[in-house]
Amino acid sequence: MNSAYIASVINSTLRSTTPILLAALGCAICSRVGVFNVALEAQMLIACFTSIAVNYFTSSVLLSVLAGVLSGALVGAVVAILQVKYKAADMVVGTALNLLVGAITTFLLYLIFGLRGKLVDNRLVSLSKINLPVIKDIPFLGRVLENLTIIDYLSYIIAIVLFVYLFKTVAGFRTLSVGINKPAAESLGTKATRIQMEMVTLSGALCGLGGVVLSMGQVTMFTENMTSGRGFIAMAAASLGMSHPLLVIASSLFFGLCQGIGLALQNVVKAQLTNTLPYIATIVALVLFSKRNSSAKLKK
Amino acid sequence: MKHITKVYGSLYANDDVHLTLDKGEILAVVGENGAGKSTLMKILYGLEQPTSGEIYLNGELQHFRSPHDAIAKKIGMVQQHFMLLEPCTVAENIVYGREPRKNGLFFDRSAAIRITEELCDKYGLHIDPRRLVKDCPVGLQQRVEILKVLYQDADIIIFDEPSAVLTPQEVGELLATMRKLAQMGKSIIIITHKLHEVMTVADRVMVMRLGKYIQEMPKSETSIEEMSFLMVGRHIVEREVPPQETTGTVLDVQDLVLAGPDEKNILDHFSIHVDAGEIVGIAGVSGNGQSELIQCLTGLLPPTSGQVVLRGQNMAGRSVGDIRSAGCACIPEDRYLWGCAAKASLTETSIMAHQYKPELSRHGLLNSKGAKGFTQKLLNDYDVRNSGQSQKAGELSGGNIQKLIVAREMEQNSPLLIAAEPTRGVDIGAIEFIHNKLLQKREKGDAVLLISSELTEIMSLSDRIYVIYEGHAAGEFRKADATEEALGILMMGGTLHENE
Amino acid sequence: MKTNETRNAAWKGIALRGWQALRQPLVATIFGLLVGAAVILACGHNPIEVYKEMFEKSFFKPYYLFSTLTRATPIIICAMAVGMSWRAGYINLGVEGQMVTGTLVATVVALFMPGPPILVAIIAWLAGMAAGALYALLPSVLTWKFNVSMVITTLMLNYVANYIASYFVTYPLKDTSGDGLALQTPEIAAEMRLPRLSSTSTFNAGFIVAILVVVFMVFITRKTVFGYESKMGGFNPSFARYGGTKQVRVMLITMALAGAIASMAGSAEVFGLKYRYADGMLSSTSYAWTGLQAALIADLDPVGMFFISIFLSGLQIGGSAIQRSLGIPLEIATIIQCCITLFVSVKLVIRFVKKPKPAASAKGGAQA
Repeated sequence: MNSAYIASVINSTLRSTTPILLAALGCAICSRVGVFNVALEAQMLIACFTSIAVNYFTSSVLLSVLAGVLSGALVGAVVAILQVKYKAADMVVGTALNLLVGAITTFLLYLIFGLRGKLVDNRLVSLSKINLPVIKDIPFLGRVLENLTIIDYLSYIIAIVLFVYLFKTVAGFRTLSVGINKPAAESLGTKATRIQMEMVTLSGALCGLGGVVLSMGQVTMFTENMTSGRGFIAMAAASLGMSHPLLVIASSLFFGLCQGIGLALQNVVKAQLTNTLPYIATIVALVLFSKRNSSAKLKK
Repeated sequence: MKHITKVYGSLYANDDVHLTLDKGEILAVVGENGAGKSTLMKILYGLEQPTSGEIYLNGELQHFRSPHDAIAKKIGMVQQHFMLLEPCTVAENIVYGREPRKNGLFFDRSAAIRITEELCDKYGLHIDPRRLVKDCPVGLQQRVEILKVLYQDADIIIFDEPSAVLTPQEVGELLATMRKLAQMGKSIIIITHKLHEVMTVADRVMVMRLGKYIQEMPKSETSIEEMSFLMVGRHIVEREVPPQETTGTVLDVQDLVLAGPDEKNILDHFSIHVDAGEIVGIAGVSGNGQSELIQCLTGLLPPTSGQVVLRGQNMAGRSVGDIRSAGCACIPEDRYLWGCAAKASLTETSIMAHQYKPELSRHGLLNSKGAKGFTQKLLNDYDVRNSGQSQKAGELSGGNIQKLIVAREMEQNSPLLIAAEPTRGVDIGAIEFIHNKLLQKREKGDAVLLISSELTEIMSLSDRIYVIYEGHAAGEFRKADATEEALGILMMGGTLHENE
Repeated sequence: MKTNETRNAAWKGIALRGWQALRQPLVATIFGLLVGAAVILACGHNPIEVYKEMFEKSFFKPYYLFSTLTRATPIIICAMAVGMSWRAGYINLGVEGQMVTGTLVATVVALFMPGPPILVAIIAWLAGMAAGALYALLPSVLTWKFNVSMVITTLMLNYVANYIASYFVTYPLKDTSGDGLALQTPEIAAEMRLPRLSSTSTFNAGFIVAILVVVFMVFITRKTVFGYESKMGGFNPSFARYGGTKQVRVMLITMALAGAIASMAGSAEVFGLKYRYADGMLSSTSYAWTGLQAALIADLDPVGMFFISIFLSGLQIGGSAIQRSLGIPLEIATIIQCCITLFVSVKLVIRFVKKPKPAASAKGGAQA
């Protein structure tokens, strides 16, 4: 195994991590305010579609990203209204929305473009790749950081910003208090329901950004159900990272690595088998870290 | 507050109630459970909106839509169920809602600690601001609640059943704090049903019954007897429990240990025994291991070590089913957590733990007729108000569902009944009913283990009393020797000279 | 006199319960169809015309009715598998994976086991059920031993099962006769196939299997101690534990049954309709997910799930009919379905009858 090979695996790990990290951060802030959001998959998938659709018609990267983020936030707002305001059961809302968005995107793909399955077109513009001037010439590091998009970098900054917000600011303290004890927060006038709804909508926006990376990052296309369970993997990442933004970076990198290795092994083993790797790894990771989780719960 | 009326459905929780409060006075609002005291206070604190009626503060009409409005008018409330952020520090809890900031955005935690220390000094209430609330004992948690209200700069402080969770000694301290606050110019409302507290601390008393304003008088012109007559609407007859011979040990708990998440044991070499034909009470401030004790005895939690001998058989660590069939029934401490499922029908609620009896099932097949008949018998015999067996358990009132659970466990006809908080939060009629059932069980010659944080309940029913403190049996009393004071000292972790 | 009164009251009670059970899905369905109408309108068609055609070509013409019932077969069985696990409080999103695993095993047995065809077919079904049960037990054991969220594990196992099944039909089990382009196994022997129930369509005895599964489900839920204990465990696990039910046993039996039932959905499809296992035949049709929605809309009541499964498959058959004739994508059916589920979830009806009140929230999977 030579260093170039390792560098390329790390590079694909980083790229695979971004969507999971963004969605996992979305999941984390939801659980921090006491909402169990299962519709991460829907929030990502809708963004994959809208960003590509807007991209197709405007050829503007900026507008596509905005459309993706907004559409994700829109689905997040639906979750917020149903689950927080109307107190609908989380699992029901989540599964129904995941299926609904799957259907809507397929529906629109056929209605607007007359296509089934996927949309690829050379009119589509992908996110611009950044190759840092000096670093790109450093042998190993240059390959590791090759062709990353601005959102790949941004996702880590978002994680850090979320950390600072939650644990260092007054508003963040109030946000956390909602998840710790909602009646207590409300008893001192915190608008707990509103904060919950805002956070769930924000999670939609974050997942939306993740969806944009998925459809306009490594590849520039839309495929039906292209999120393929990443929302649930992100859920696992958030739970392993104990909904702490910085720990979530670590757990997301782990799942990114599994996908990276899966991609790398495709030359050796049949694709159908390597494709199972991220899913099996998710289960294994949940099992391995379960002890720590349960003892943390006991202490609470 | 004038003409306050609050209607829930067809229930008048408050019916044309008046209340006045002067500066620097302590007003006690007394009444039985369900008399509407808490509702009235929630209206004053903005948690509930009155159906009709008005609130005036210093002559001005107020409209409180949320506690936020009430806080802005300097009204604060120490709630019965603490409104605390348990994983946070004392200081963070106290400054919540008006946090000190750095650069307008960031939470200045060191300033919060400083503020807390200043506040503690000012009112003479001491507590370590850096301590996590979940590590504080209940008395200190209540102090955090009081400091929170003081930090909000409240002039009117409402205490909702403040002594419910405290030991008699802690209550004494709390009452002294209230006096001190009143002297500093705060106006205080205390809602309670414990009349001796009223006599110690209040300036004026207002009595409520069934949502109605009954009467109001200065403390100096009333007596405990008069107040209790007004509260209940009739004279209460002290129950006389005739002494009774016991016959053989039913439950013998030896050296029971349950390890906690840290080095400290939750149950620490706990030993008691319960004989047939007696009610044994376990007194203690909640959170001293009672819940875990019940769970270890009933098989919900496996103890770390020790013996639970039930009728000669060591049942420690056996399953719930085994322990039940060995002769133990249990009225659970939290009826909604353990005792029922809100969505289950009354039939489904009633047959739990009876489902393998031959009249209810054979070879794993349910006998629906048998189940219906059995349920109807429970509903009739225990006077559970219901609208048919398909009604959901969650739709019954607290007292009725509790009666059904008591019925279910009594009908096990087991040699041992564990009754945990059997009357928590139910109305006075149901309390009397349940107490009588427990005494009947004792008369039949069965053993009853009564675990309650209500000291009067323990003292009036039990033949013997143990005190539990930090998971350890801290003392044993015969009924005749038990005094509230002695129990209180042990509940706080103190020692009695007589015992040494 | 008094008995009469009580009897009247009892009847009223039953009528009220029945209405309460029905009105929620009914009102939600109306709202779902209204949303669908809006979408159809946005596509530039007349909703009434479209719905007329949709329902004609799903329920009112015999040929289409048979197609609807044929499609409903696996959906009904999947709904029962979902209902079996969800009613006991186990959020099993892995019915698809359990179905795929079981079906693949059943197909392999049917293809390669020597012996009299009827016997082989029976063994194939049983082997499939065993495989489905084992595949459902895997996440259950992880939940039991490691307290891992079943929501995530069961969902992950769907992808694993689909990819592995895809591997098998792409390489070792691939039918090499014919052009060899299609990713599918060879056909099973004619003697093993389920008989057709109609000469003009593909409607087959699989539907009878589905009805048997429904009857089994009704029996389990209403008549057995196991059904009672698992239901209580679903309502409130602490209550069931306190009452002395053996919860691990209940969980393992529940999930094994769910997995076994799930496998029957796929077996019915292979033995009754397709006669072979083809790549993606059980996932691209989203039988499991439609079954899940039927279960949610019917609030896990077996008889309700049966009828709603038929209704939803009718929507899908009608959806593909209007895609062919009007060019409206067939996903309109899924959109309507999901909206119905969402409307059921917010308990919309309550707001018509009385003012909104804070309903106790049913948090399904707070464990993740």
